[in-house]
Amino acid sequence: MATNPMHQFSVHRIGPEIKIGGIDISFTNASLFMFISSAAICLLLFFATKEKRLIPGKVQLIGEMFYNFVAKMISDTAGSKAKPYFPFIFSLFMFVLFCNMVGMLPYSFTVTSHIIVTLILAIFIFIAVTIIGFLKHGFGYLKLFVPSGVPALLLPLITVIEIISYLSRPVSLSVRLFANMMAGHTMLKVFGGFVISLGVLGGWLPLGFSVALTGLEILVAFLQAYVFAILTCIYLNDALNLHH
Amino acid sequence: MVEIKDFKTRLKIEKSKLKKKYLSDDEKRGSSMGFALKLGTELVAAVAVGTIIGFILDSWFGTKPWLIIIFFFIGSAAGMLNVIRTANRIQKEN
Repeated sequence: MATNPMHQFSVHRIGPEIKIGGIDISFTNASLFMFISSAAICLLLFFATKEKRLIPGKVQLIGEMFYNFVAKMISDTAGSKAKPYFPFIFSLFMFVLFCNMVGMLPYSFTVTSHIIVTLILAIFIFIAVTIIGFLKHGFGYLKLFVPSGVPALLLPLITVIEIISYLSRPVSLSVRLFANMMAGHTMLKVFGGFVISLGVLGGWLPLGFSVALTGLEILVAFLQAYVFAILTCIYLNDALNLHH
Repeated sequence: MVEIKDFKTRLKIEKSKLKKKYLSDDEKRGSSMGFALKLGTELVAAVAVGTIIGFILDSWFGTKPWLIIIFFFIGSAAGMLNVIRTANRIQKEN
C-alpha cells in the first residue's frame, strides 16, 4: 500500500465524524493542510508587518516581495482599474502557492491535487468575474460574445463558439492546476518506488531523478500559482475593460 | 593612461547593460513557460465543455447522437480560438 503512487491523494477523516443534514463535514487531512497553509500565510504576513522598518529585515523583505510581485502582476495585466481587487488576487495567489509548497514537504498532503478544490476556486472566480462584468457594463457585457466585424450569416455560429470558449475558462483553469500537481506528485512517488525496488545497486539513478524532479516540482508549484493568479487577472481585465 | 580609464568605464556600462538584459530575459522566460503550460489545457477544456453541452442538450431534446456531434466540432473551434488568443497575447507581450 505504501508503494501505491495514488495512495498519497486519499482523503481520510481526522477526529470524530460530523454530519449536518446528511452532508459529511468532518475534519479531514485536506482540511488540516488547508488550515496549515492559511496559518502559514497569516504567520508570515504577521511577522512581515510587525516591525515596519525603512530598511527591511528578512521576513519583511519576503512579505514586501510577495506584495510587489502581485501588485505588479495586477497592474501589468489588468490595469489600474483592477486595484480594488488586489486583496482577493493576493489571497488567491498566496493560498494556491502555499498549498502547492506545503504539498512539497515530505509526509504532507497536496490540497490542490484534488480537482474539487481547484474547481471550486475556479468556479468562484468565474461567477465573480461574470457578476463584476454585468455590474460594470450592464447588458453591454454580452457584447463579449458578439465580436464586431463578423458577417451576419456567421454571427450565430461565432456567438455559440464564443460562449463555449467563455464557459471553458473555469474548466481549463482548474484542470491545469489539478493535473500539474497530481502528475508531478505521482511521478515523484513512482521514482521513489523505483529507488526501493532497485535497491542499493540500481537505485541511485532514480534517486538522482527524484532529486531533479523535486526541483522541477518546486518550479511547477510556483509557476502554477502564478498562472492561476495571472489568468484571474486576465479574466478580470476582460470584465473591467470591455474591448474587442 | 586616459585610454585605460575610458575603457574601464565603457566596460562597466556594457556589463550593466548585459546584466539588465539577462534579468529581463529570465523574467520573460518564466512567464512564457507559464503560458506554454496553459496552451494545452486551453484546447482540451473547450472541447470537453462543448461535448458536455451537446450531451446535455441531446438528453433534453431527445435528438441523441446529433447535437453531441455538432457541439463537439463547435467546441473544437472554440478551443482553437482560445489557443490563437493566448498565442496572440504572448506575441504582444514579447
